[in-house]
Amino acid sequence: MKLLALMKKEFHRFFHDPRLIVTMLLPGLLIFLLYTFIGEIAYGDEAREFKVYLSGSSAVTVAIEQILAENGDKVEWLPLENEEEARAAVKEGEATAILKFSENFDPLQEGGSVSIVYDHGSEDSFYFESLASAVLTGMGMRFLIEEETVKEDTAVGAEFLSTLLPMLIVCFIFSACMSVTLESVAGEKERGTLSTILVTSAKRSHIALGKVIPLSCISMIGAVSSFLGVALSMPKLMGFSLGFLGDYSVWSYVLLLLLILSTVPLIVGGIAAVSALSRSVKEASAYTGVLMIFTMVLSLVTSFLPTMGSWVTVVPIFNAVVAMQGVLQGGLPVLNALLSVGINLVYTALLIFAIAKLLSSEKFMFGK
Amino acid sequence: MEEIVRAEGLKKTFTLSKKQQRIEKTGEPRRVAVNGLSFSAYRGEIYGLLGPNGAGKTTTLRMLSTLIKPDAGDAFLAGHSIVKEPEKVRDVVGFLTSDLKLEGFFTPDYLFDFFGAMHGVEKGVLAERKQELFARFGIDKFAEVQVKNLSTGMLQKVSLVISIVHDPEVVIFDEPTNGLDVLTAKVVTDFLAELKAMGKSILLSTHIFSLVEKLCDRVGIIIDGTLAAEGTLAEVADGDLEKSFFALYQERKGEIV
Repeated sequence: MKLLALMKKEFHRFFHDPRLIVTMLLPGLLIFLLYTFIGEIAYGDEAREFKVYLSGSSAVTVAIEQILAENGDKVEWLPLENEEEARAAVKEGEATAILKFSENFDPLQEGGSVSIVYDHGSEDSFYFESLASAVLTGMGMRFLIEEETVKEDTAVGAEFLSTLLPMLIVCFIFSACMSVTLESVAGEKERGTLSTILVTSAKRSHIALGKVIPLSCISMIGAVSSFLGVALSMPKLMGFSLGFLGDYSVWSYVLLLLLILSTVPLIVGGIAAVSALSRSVKEASAYTGVLMIFTMVLSLVTSFLPTMGSWVTVVPIFNAVVAMQGVLQGGLPVLNALLSVGINLVYTALLIFAIAKLLSSEKFMFGK
Repeated sequence: MEEIVRAEGLKKTFTLSKKQQRIEKTGEPRRVAVNGLSFSAYRGEIYGLLGPNGAGKTTTLRMLSTLIKPDAGDAFLAGHSIVKEPEKVRDVVGFLTSDLKLEGFFTPDYLFDFFGAMHGVEKGVLAERKQELFARFGIDKFAEVQVKNLSTGMLQKVSLVISIVHDPEVVIFDEPTNGLDVLTAKVVTDFLAELKAMGKSILLSTHIFSLVEKLCDRVGIIIDGTLAAEGTLAEVADGDLEKSFFALYQERKGEIV
């Protein structure tokens, strides 16, 4: 009952204060706007010209041309003479895609087929494939659509994401955790409202849990907001499509989610412990800044050292970053990921124990 | 009479930082704040701990409310040891000091429920108690106003009521009228009188003679962390508390300033 009341208080404090909600969601929105803006400057919004190798003919091409023309885009149809060369051109980015209609293709008749060869790491190619696919699907699906990508998981976008995204995720989680945890723990301590709770008969471990659990949930909102900001603006910023994200299996996403879920309370616990040690929000911010730099460096190291031993599993946060990279590179490092999750939870439990000890310490709670 | 608070040889020493040593103009790295303090307060009475600043009153009350631990000695509140059963002590004690603040974002209504839950008060009992106390102290008029928007007097009333949310057997007030204007100070003194009428046992620290004379049944005079005198006002003061206090102080310290 006491733990529930403590948790409810934190949620009430957050969800009834529009300023806090805005503070939590704003970074995501700002990241989206900023990255999109940078992307617009870098790539512009000029009309695009698609070069598509075409085999066979159909009225479908006219429909595609019309839709593209509505957006100010153009398509140049190239005759498909040598498929190998055409595939190489698509792979190199010299051509957008290959569109092959079977000889018996007729959108109004059963039995025909159409094949689209594209590069799912290229924004233009992915866009064309989506458009062609939508046009064909809209015709009633009386025929077979074969889609094939010329690149597998080594697409530029996937490479970029697998190395940098885990670090970005950890940074976003950290900044989200920092804004709520410093205010809630160091802020309450500085304002003297934490002492009012300490004078009640609530167990110190419950007070620690009553902070870490709700603050982790709230931090997740901030982290997700920032993550969405990046994910949605990435196509504009980097000039590639995120369509290949759909290629990851459900289990990959489950592992990613578990890794993120285990990292959030760990970081919240770390910041809460630092806050309990500090005399003021200012002091706690300074210490947390050091902690953040340390975490960022740790996350960044993995980008440059792709092969590491299994020892990384015992290093908190580091283990999650490495496991996330493994997942995003197309692997399914189930054992490593689950071990990392378990170890992070053990560290979180140790931190909660440490926070409870700090809350019991008159030196840290009431020392001048 | 039944003892409700019994302190037995309480001792507390603090380590002084270099900065604190400079401020206090001392080369001693440690300062004894409370030195073997023993006293008893009885059920239903207001017991006053009277002493100058730095005498050890606040440290004593903080030990009794289990915020800090004694280096030696023990105290029993409603039979519970502050050393061995701090959580039980917190359930039978209401503690009010200017160091304990209420979060400005919340309303008195929310905070009453929250601290009630923190003390494990059953919901139905809590609702009844809230209705009774809010009506008795006029808090119902601003129960839904955020604490940060309350006047000092209103805030003091809320703090007082929340300190007794769990209907404690002993209520401890550390310098309850310190820094308050005359109107707010009256709110506090009236509240103390009300509590006494409700049969509560009250322990308060102060350096204001008139407050002791007006409210306290018995008084303990603390000088340099030790009990210099204890008893009823008649026993300790012999008619003039202020005069008796300074005589005692001079006898102990040799000089007034």
